Amino acid sequence: MTASAKAWLAILAAVVLLPVFVRHAIATEIWIFAIFGLGLNLLMGYTGLLSFGQATFFGSAAYVAGYLLKFYGINVFLALGLGIVVGAISAAAVGYLCVQRSGLYFIMLTFALNQMFYFTAYQWTTVTGGEDGMPGIPRPSVLGLDIHRPLAYYAAVALLFILSLWIMKRIVESPLGKILQAIRENELRAEALGYNVPRMKLAAFVVGGAFSGLAGVLYAMLFGIVPLESIGFVFSGNVVFATLIGGSGSLYGPVIGSFVFIWLSESVSSMWARWPLLLGVAFVIVVLFFRGGVVEAWARFWAWRAAHRAPTVAGADAPR
Amino acid sequence: MPLVRTERLTKSFGALVAVNAVTLEVEEGSLHSVIGPNGAGKTTFFNLLTGQHAPTSGRIIFDGRDIAGTPPHRIAHLGIARSFQRTSIFPTLSILDNVWLATFARQESWRGLAWRRADRYPELTRRALEVLGEVGLGEKASLLAREISHGEQRQLELAIALAAAPRLLLLDEPGAGLSPDETQKMVALVRKLKGRYTIILIEHKIDVVMTMSDRISVMHFGSVIAEGNPVEIQRHPEVRRAYLGGVVAP
Repeated sequence: MTASAKAWLAILAAVVLLPVFVRHAIATEIWIFAIFGLGLNLLMGYTGLLSFGQATFFGSAAYVAGYLLKFYGINVFLALGLGIVVGAISAAAVGYLCVQRSGLYFIMLTFALNQMFYFTAYQWTTVTGGEDGMPGIPRPSVLGLDIHRPLAYYAAVALLFILSLWIMKRIVESPLGKILQAIRENELRAEALGYNVPRMKLAAFVVGGAFSGLAGVLYAMLFGIVPLESIGFVFSGNVVFATLIGGSGSLYGPVIGSFVFIWLSESVSSMWARWPLLLGVAFVIVVLFFRGGVVEAWARFWAWRAAHRAPTVAGADAPR
Repeated sequence: MPLVRTERLTKSFGALVAVNAVTLEVEEGSLHSVIGPNGAGKTTFFNLLTGQHAPTSGRIIFDGRDIAGTPPHRIAHLGIARSFQRTSIFPTLSILDNVWLATFARQESWRGLAWRRADRYPELTRRALEVLGEVGLGEKASLLAREISHGEQRQLELAIALAAAPRLLLLDEPGAGLSPDETQKMVALVRKLKGRYTIILIEHKIDVVMTMSDRISVMHFGSVIAEGNPVEIQRHPEVRRAYLGGVVAP
């Protein structure tokens, strides 16, 4: 079995088993956050662009789709489609400004623009509800199927997550995926080969924004509210954090990261109010020892095991 | 007719005139070397040709068209490829991918850009492997670029430039930092390319330049102080004073 087939099998197993062990709302949130992380990972892991403003696209999509769901009763497909479009367009606008700069200035720009969106949502209380958020987001049925039951909604989200993962896999294995990695590795050479670097970076933004937008709408329908935090910088930080813990630059990294992050924050936070401390420690360990996150730690563990077991295997094959 | 011609090409950085009114013609199919001491402006001259810098003044006529100030990614599509003096590769990508990226960039259309799997372009993969074979890296295609020796990385550097199927090939000290052994290999390689490509070569190893070049331009403090075939250059009094010194016996 190929490594990719194994990974898919593991993910399918996780999708089926997760609601057995974890509360449905949390299980759903894990896959939503994973979709969010997939989008960021294309920017951060593959293109080398540390965007600290992903909540801009997540929140904008959640507000727009949430508003239309609430006041105009649009159907779910339209809401998801709009969310993807709003995510992509807001990412195109933010990305256009940000790709002109690099390094620290790039990061600060994504952050500053995120703050701009945040304060717009904060001030525009007639539409967004300001600090109170935008409550009362309905979850209309899909093709006659009621998705109000937590497990039904979980299934719908899990399906969209698998679809998202498959699409992202195709993208990172496409020429574009290679070009983005080339830009991460060596921008000057990528340009000399004939790639329009800013335009390619913008493409990464737009795709990443579309994924964030999808996640945003699913999030709004999960909790029935668009909280102000969903467009705030803490949320942007969380997805960076989760992706780093899981392993940035590897396709499955953000999925694992999302699982670790959401599960930890939901289960530990109810027991211990200072749980972010634990996350901080995890973060320090990752940054110091496992730059590639859980994915790298996992690979290293197996390499270590293989190295230690090799002599016994050889011994078993030897004639008695 | 020359493939590329520069007319009084000038680049200044503040008060420093790095390239000073350089007029130069390179015939199609020839190997034209540019020599000169460190800081003479050779690499800056390349950077002007490939669009990394916009010239302060002057023109660059490539194939009958003024390309001065065109950005690098457009220049690449016109068929100008370069290798870098300081190895410039994609370290964590495979050697095949390093070269494949150059072949993909030169496609007429980028069909399947964001959807088709990159390994489903058999024609490009074949071309990339062919180029790797030519520079002697065929066996190592699946290794990561950071895993090979410095000498091999220099070969890769050249392969990336070749894979772009250039009409004009700019080689910036392909032998930089190589051992005598590796240098010999590299010289043989460049010799094989001669005639198949139009080449402008920057090189410090004078004996290499003298034996291979059709024409040589000598740069000093940003200006071309002499131009001619190798024999003329060896005899040129100003060149010997400025650059060759005692290296080449009279």
